[in-house]
Amino acid sequence: MGIVTNYFETCSIILFGVGFATLMFHRNLIKKIIGMNIMDTAVFLFFIAKGYISGKEAPIITNSYKGIEGYVNPVPTALMLTGIVVAVSTTAFALALTIKLHEKYGTIDLDEIIRMKGD
Amino acid sequence: MYKYFPLINVFVLMITAFTIPIVRKKKIARELSIFSNAVILILSIFILVNVISIGDFHYKAGYPNTFFGIDWYIGSIESVLSVLFAFVSLLIVIYSYKSIEHEVPNEKIDFYYILLNLLLASLLGIIYTNDLFNSYVFIEVSTLASCGIIVIKDKKANIKATIKYLIMSTVGSGLILMAIAYIYSLTGHLNMSLIHEVIIKNYTQYPNSVLIILVLFTVGLGVKSAMFPLHGWLPDAHSSAPTPSSALLSGLVIKVYAFTLIKILYRVFSFSIVNETIILNVIILLGSCGMIFGSIMAITQKELKRMVAYSSIAQMGYVFFGIGLGTPAGVATAVFHIVGHAVTKSALFLCSGLMIEKVGSKKISDLKGIGKEMPLALVLFTLGAFSMIGIPILPGFISKWYLSLACIEINRLSLVIIILTSSILNVIYYFPIIINGFFGHENLEGKVYKSKSVSIDRMLPIIFLMTAMVLVGGFSKNILNFISTAF
Amino acid sequence: MFDFILILPILIPFITGLLILLIKPNVKKTEKYIMFTVIVNFIITAYTSFIYKGLSFHILKFNNLLDIYLAPDTLGSIFAMLVSVLWIFTTFYSFDYMSHEHNLNRFYAFFIMTLGITLGIAFSGNLITLYIFYEMLTLCTFPLVIHSDTEEALKCGRKYLLYSFIGAAFVLFGIIIFFSQTGNLDFTAGGIVKLFNNSNKNYFLMSYIFFFIGFGVKAALVPFHSWLPSAMVAPTPVSSLLHAVAVVKSGVFSLTRMTYYIFGWKIIEQTGGNDYMLVFVLLTILMGSFLALHQQNLKKRLAYSTISQLGYIMLGLVVFSENAFIGGMLHMLFHAMIKITLFFCVGAIMHYYHKTEISEIEGIGKSMPKTMICFTIASISLIGIPPANGFVSKWYLAIGGLELGAYFVPIILLLSALLTAGYLIPVITTAFFKGPPSSEVDIKEPGNLMLMPIIVLTCISVITGFFPNLLISVLQKASSVLF
Repeated sequence: MGIVTNYFETCSIILFGVGFATLMFHRNLIKKIIGMNIMDTAVFLFFIAKGYISGKEAPIITNSYKGIEGYVNPVPTALMLTGIVVAVSTTAFALALTIKLHEKYGTIDLDEIIRMKGD
Repeated sequence: MYKYFPLINVFVLMITAFTIPIVRKKKIARELSIFSNAVILILSIFILVNVISIGDFHYKAGYPNTFFGIDWYIGSIESVLSVLFAFVSLLIVIYSYKSIEHEVPNEKIDFYYILLNLLLASLLGIIYTNDLFNSYVFIEVSTLASCGIIVIKDKKANIKATIKYLIMSTVGSGLILMAIAYIYSLTGHLNMSLIHEVIIKNYTQYPNSVLIILVLFTVGLGVKSAMFPLHGWLPDAHSSAPTPSSALLSGLVIKVYAFTLIKILYRVFSFSIVNETIILNVIILLGSCGMIFGSIMAITQKELKRMVAYSSIAQMGYVFFGIGLGTPAGVATAVFHIVGHAVTKSALFLCSGLMIEKVGSKKISDLKGIGKEMPLALVLFTLGAFSMIGIPILPGFISKWYLSLACIEINRLSLVIIILTSSILNVIYYFPIIINGFFGHENLEGKVYKSKSVSIDRMLPIIFLMTAMVLVGGFSKNILNFISTAF
Repeated sequence: MFDFILILPILIPFITGLLILLIKPNVKKTEKYIMFTVIVNFIITAYTSFIYKGLSFHILKFNNLLDIYLAPDTLGSIFAMLVSVLWIFTTFYSFDYMSHEHNLNRFYAFFIMTLGITLGIAFSGNLITLYIFYEMLTLCTFPLVIHSDTEEALKCGRKYLLYSFIGAAFVLFGIIIFFSQTGNLDFTAGGIVKLFNNSNKNYFLMSYIFFFIGFGVKAALVPFHSWLPSAMVAPTPVSSLLHAVAVVKSGVFSLTRMTYYIFGWKIIEQTGGNDYMLVFVLLTILMGSFLALHQQNLKKRLAYSTISQLGYIMLGLVVFSENAFIGGMLHMLFHAMIKITLFFCVGAIMHYYHKTEISEIEGIGKSMPKTMICFTIASISLIGIPPANGFVSKWYLAIGGLELGAYFVPIILLLSALLTAGYLIPVITTAFFKGPPSSEVDIKEPGNLMLMPIIVLTCISVITGFFPNLLISVLQKASSVLF
């Protein structure tokens, strides 16, 4: 039952698994990077789900302050903003490297690249 | 006043890092980097003195009295590591002053120093922080920066090694972030001390969750610190990088993740919780395997830097071995090994880089007779190798000694045999270089005495590192006692 | 404050060696420096051994573990004297022998550094100091072993290094276990074990066995001996030193320290470890002799003979009686003199006639009578025919064995003496009674620098054979505190 009621967590763990598998087992570098992003997103979902309390609002005061009980926990959301920044920069770096690799090796198949010798 | 020093440390490095692209002059970039490192060293020494005389302290950035402000904690280990990192990195930067032109394209030299400063800033951040998410951010910064200082050489092999390293690291980061999310959902805190308070009360209700968190952290950090089966990226990355980068990566970067693992196992959790799970047995097993297989792999290597890199895997095995013992003595020795090995391995890498630069070949077989051509370099290399092998007084011996005593303390005598086997294996791969360097009729034929030796000012950083190594060995008891106060 | 003098015998050779390596003077000057250093060292060592006794000096004291501490007692002084006396002879001998070799500066530098390190072993006041010097000894003798710089020499050198380091690792294992039980490593007559009971008995037993095997590697304990014959690729002065004084005797000396000054024989007897080791020792005595019989190469034959003779010395360390101890120590001294003489003679044959096999030396006794007579006298001493000095030590060993009811000891000694005769007598007969008649050969003795050490050493062994009482009384003094 726990699996169904905690659908956020279940979903994010499944996504994490998908992303992890893509990252580990795909040979194509672009797909690897996509996998990495899926994995990161899964964690973000998991994290933010921890801060969400159903029926509460986002912690932004629109009309009047409703007291602490009226809002969801803002900390995970704030943290995940940082997390997204980190993930984006890693992705950018990885993509830049992929371009370089393609320039030097003419392929983005990691297995093939590893098999190639030379400086 | 001294409470602000950690923050100033990180800020000085970050600010200088981002001043360099504004200036865009190679010479100024280098001098700025050396200057900032020197400042860090001085401030770190101040921190150390204060911790010795007054005791550990917290620094809270942001909201001082709430539970979500970012907390930095400086205890005995942190202050020692901070001095160590500043010292080693200063010497490496000084070494790079004269050598970096040989390895990094001219127009990228100022970028190199940005990355070096950022890397050190993030490493110090990881050491100081007492906040899990903060340490995650710093870990990511350090990963990107260390990828940067490998790929900057812009050769095929470097890019290949970097992408390998980056992918493995991202896997690790993903696992770490997942673990942090898990622990947050369990406790509602990110501050290590607060998590500890909560978890010490409730862990019996969540044995599986605790185990999952520990496994995620161990694997995640294990990837980054080259724990045995997850070390695949290290030899490529460390051997293809420019020499100062290799020294920095092998000497400091991989150590800091091991230290984070120590913080998580023994500060977030505790000796009693961790000892109840199987995770320590796994760590000790992987550590032992790393010690043995890392050395065996090192024996089979044909390139000098790859050999030294594999030796790093073996030496990280010692650190994990100490962590896995699960006693204060074992963990203190692991930290001591981090200190001793950081100094030794960075010096060894700088030495081998110098020899490779002069000989013009990476192959061990081409280094025959090097002792005649560059006597001082090989003598220093020999000294470092002695520490690895475990000649008394040098830190390698001390770590082995106290690790063995820690093993006997918990009645696991068989583990001592692993330590000694690994030290014999060290003899097998370090000595041929030294023997072929100094001796052998065929090896020395046609070599001219001191023909390839470099000026003494390029050797000075290595000499300082080796002196520091001997001192670390000599004052090992003091260092160990000081480290042990943390547990 | 005057204790400072203790460091000099170790430091002076070291500095000389380093200076030679750095300055690279010409060979004549190097020889002068070496001669000077050896003699000064002898004087200081004698001074500390006879006149100012009981000195002790902390070279470096970081903490209780890392405490480099010198404190020679009677036993240490005896060993130090033996080393410094024999080193003088070897020095003079090698001036002649090495004159045609290459790379003499390196040779002499490490040669003299080894002297300092061996004295360091003799003077060590605790186990960690001994261990440090023990490791350094391996490193310093390595360049001597591979002096010829050929591929084969390097191979044998690697073997030597590997064996030594594995041995040292065993020793380290022993030290660690021992330290974990006692927390102390200072040499004290009668041992430093305070707490001995059933629960830590096995720790001590294991520690003892690892110690014995570890040091036994240097002392050429069978089956860990095979580095010793390989190390014969070294030039003769080095082989003689390795065999007679520096390396193997350091191994034996360390074993003595370990047995009587670290554990104390009573503890070992309670653990029963010496019974296991006795098997190895007896094996060493017999195997060494048997293997020596089969060697055709003169140096190799002497090498295996050394293995067997070291067995005698170690016998004195596993049979716990005062007489056996005295016998073992006497044999350490006598064997040093005898074996160095034998090696010098063989070296002279190699140097002047370029002959290394027994079949080649037919009639050599006629062309170099003085040398071969010395060889004969030394052989007789080694076999142990009374009144030669080898007999005295074996006598004490036999008595020691009988006191404990170990009747196999004299039997083994006799058997091995027969075997010793079996491998040494053929050399003598081949040298004197085969080959062309003496009227047809020219007499060509080695030069004085080579001959004098041989003759003087032979005289010393003869004299000590006739008047062993002085040495015995000194050794009795050393053993009185142990039993």
